[in-house]
Amino acid sequence: MDIVILSILLVVEASAVAAARVMRLWLRTLRGSSYLAALVFIITFLARTLTGADFFDAIGYAIVYTFRLVVFLTSFSLFFLTTTPEEIALTMSKARIPYEYIFAFVSAVRFTPVVADEMRTIMDAQRSRGLELDRGPFTARLRRMIPILIPLLVNVLRRSYELAEAMEVKCFGATKKRTYLKDLNPKTSDYLILAGSVGLFTITIYMRINGYMPFEAITGIRLVSGM
Amino acid sequence: MKIIEIKDLSFTYLGQSRPSLKNVNLEIGPGEFILVSGPSGGGKSTLCRCINGLIPHFYEGKLSGEVIVDGLSTKDTPTYILSQHVGMVFQNPQNQLFSLSVENDIAFALENLALPREEISSRVSEALKLMNLRELADRSPLELSGGQQQKVALASILALRPKVIMLDEPTSFLDPASAQQLINTVDEIRKNLGLTILMVEHRVDMIAPRATRMIVVHEGGVIYDGSPREFYERYDSHLYGVSTPKLARLSYELGRRIEGWPGVFLDIDGFERAVREFASHRIR
Amino acid sequence: MPVIEFDRVSYTYPSGVKALKDVSFTVEKGEIVVLMGENGSGKTTILKHLNGLLKPTSGRLYVDGLDTSKSTVAQLSAKVGLVFQNAENMFFESTVWDEVAFALRNFGFGEDVVRRRVDWALKFFDLNGYASQSPFTLSGGEKKRLAFAIVLAWSPAIIALDEPTIGQDSLQKEKMLHMVKLLNTQGHTILLASHDVEFVAELRPRIILVSSGKITADGPCEEILSDLEILRKCSIVPPQLVLVMDRLRDLGLSRKILDVPEAVKAISEVIGHKHI
Repeated sequence: MDIVILSILLVVEASAVAAARVMRLWLRTLRGSSYLAALVFIITFLARTLTGADFFDAIGYAIVYTFRLVVFLTSFSLFFLTTTPEEIALTMSKARIPYEYIFAFVSAVRFTPVVADEMRTIMDAQRSRGLELDRGPFTARLRRMIPILIPLLVNVLRRSYELAEAMEVKCFGATKKRTYLKDLNPKTSDYLILAGSVGLFTITIYMRINGYMPFEAITGIRLVSGM
Repeated sequence: MKIIEIKDLSFTYLGQSRPSLKNVNLEIGPGEFILVSGPSGGGKSTLCRCINGLIPHFYEGKLSGEVIVDGLSTKDTPTYILSQHVGMVFQNPQNQLFSLSVENDIAFALENLALPREEISSRVSEALKLMNLRELADRSPLELSGGQQQKVALASILALRPKVIMLDEPTSFLDPASAQQLINTVDEIRKNLGLTILMVEHRVDMIAPRATRMIVVHEGGVIYDGSPREFYERYDSHLYGVSTPKLARLSYELGRRIEGWPGVFLDIDGFERAVREFASHRIR
Repeated sequence: MPVIEFDRVSYTYPSGVKALKDVSFTVEKGEIVVLMGENGSGKTTILKHLNGLLKPTSGRLYVDGLDTSKSTVAQLSAKVGLVFQNAENMFFESTVWDEVAFALRNFGFGEDVVRRRVDWALKFFDLNGYASQSPFTLSGGEKKRLAFAIVLAWSPAIIALDEPTIGQDSLQKEKMLHMVKLLNTQGHTILLASHDVEFVAELRPRIILVSSGKITADGPCEEILSDLEILRKCSIVPPQLVLVMDRLRDLGLSRKILDVPEAVKAISEVIGHKHI
């Protein structure tokens, strides 16, 4: 039963992904999560086997567990693939989160690529001084990160100072309540999806409470509780 | 009516023993295009920060004297009010843009001031139009070139509608073509909007032809305040860490050898006219 | 045998951007060569190939006899000292002395050699007063000198500089010019990337113009910097004197004048006064 539900969910996700035209990126997430999925599968299988379940049972259990994880991860990726950081920031402001936190979030998104770029430049500069970053035992390589991390930190600190100056000049913190250029207005489709999600959630809880067995192996062998 | 009045300004940064500015006196009228030059560490940036209130509100230290901008005293007026009279564009294009889109960056200061949305929207539109950035409105600053980023920075300051704009070495990280473009844009905006411009720069050859006035800050003091042309006539620019355009040196040397030569030129047009006049006299 | 040989080098970044397309040129020992072109034309990419930070996706690059695709960055850095734009991106030691010693230790020199070389480099660049200070306490100009000292310490045969005059005032640029010329007279081969046309004009080097990953011109300074057409194609602003001479070319003045004394002489003659 579970498998059926999970499959339906995956299909719903996939159609949303197709509608949003992010299929290729989403499939990449699917591929990326396969390592974690394999790990979870093995662990779940072993855990089940070692606590007394028989082979098929354990396999079924593991499959469902892994499947559930994959659906979970991919739905997260669907969110991030279809929502821009700007929309997230606007949602945060609608949720009345204090501006300092929103600003911190936007700054993080804004400057992470810049810092990543700087890190590459620093690595190039230190490599040019004979620093070996690509070979050697792990612990040695870790220590060799110091000539990378210190200049990076110094740059980050200097940048914060320059940013603070620019913020001051642009009246940051001048008023307690801030206004926004853009606004997020919920549309009918938003309300429908919200209602649909809440509805599905209620149904699942109902099903659970009313005793539908959560784990049924593919082969139909039931795990009899209390045996 | 002077738009900036500086009287006996001295400033020493907290923790420093020597003052960065010593007894500076300046008066700046509306509509001027002022080139501020001098060696690195000489006090140019400190002077700018005294004008927009970063000194004393953001930087600690000992400040004496008075700075009055558009009728407001910088000591007694908070920076968010001063920023609506004096704007500043910084050297590093990357480190003055905060948002994820050009539009949002231009709106940033206005949002901070809690202006009503319609006002923000119309000012952003205005700034985009002035700086010719309409097509880039939705782009992320990460995708822009250095020159484009500086234009966005300038647009975001214009949105505050200040009467004075200061630019602290805005072309340092730009290649010469983008630098010239930025300088041309700044001059155009100055003329169209009647703004006062203070540009701190080393690229004298690009700005001197357009600047109405040149101020040289050296070791904390203003050692020259007048027309750019006269500076090169009377002073050894080399001594004061000010770069000398080749044309200035050329016309200066010609002045020493040729009788009646009109002196130093900073613009090619004027120089060309002078040479042709002398050449035609020779034929006669 | 040339000390640098680019043989139909092409380079494509992992992102897919084709930064270099079939680049071929050689540099002889002791030359000063300047790469010019707008931002993104490929100058920095070329410099990064010299010490192996980047390896050609096709074609071959030989540096002092070594094939870069078969050598490590460490091996190539022994021959090529690359000085990046932002010197501060490499400081991390607690003293200036250690900062200069870092590379030497990485290259495996013995401690006594290290000591000798560091002392020499600091002295040469006028930094021994700062030996026990933190590199972060130095002024902008001093930091630039330290970046040079760091690279010169192991005396590489080839020195590569990426935009050495960015953000500097006229006095600092003059010192930089003097330093580059001095290093060249001492026998180092110099390859530098710059868009500062006036600085380059004073150096009188061989110029290679780079545009969209290709070499569009290669020749002596006087030829390239007076060729207005090709400079325009590469979005390079010509030196001021060249522009001036171009305006007056109908009076018989040559565009190939790059320094003031020559210009004074030429114009004086045209105006009819004998040059004093």
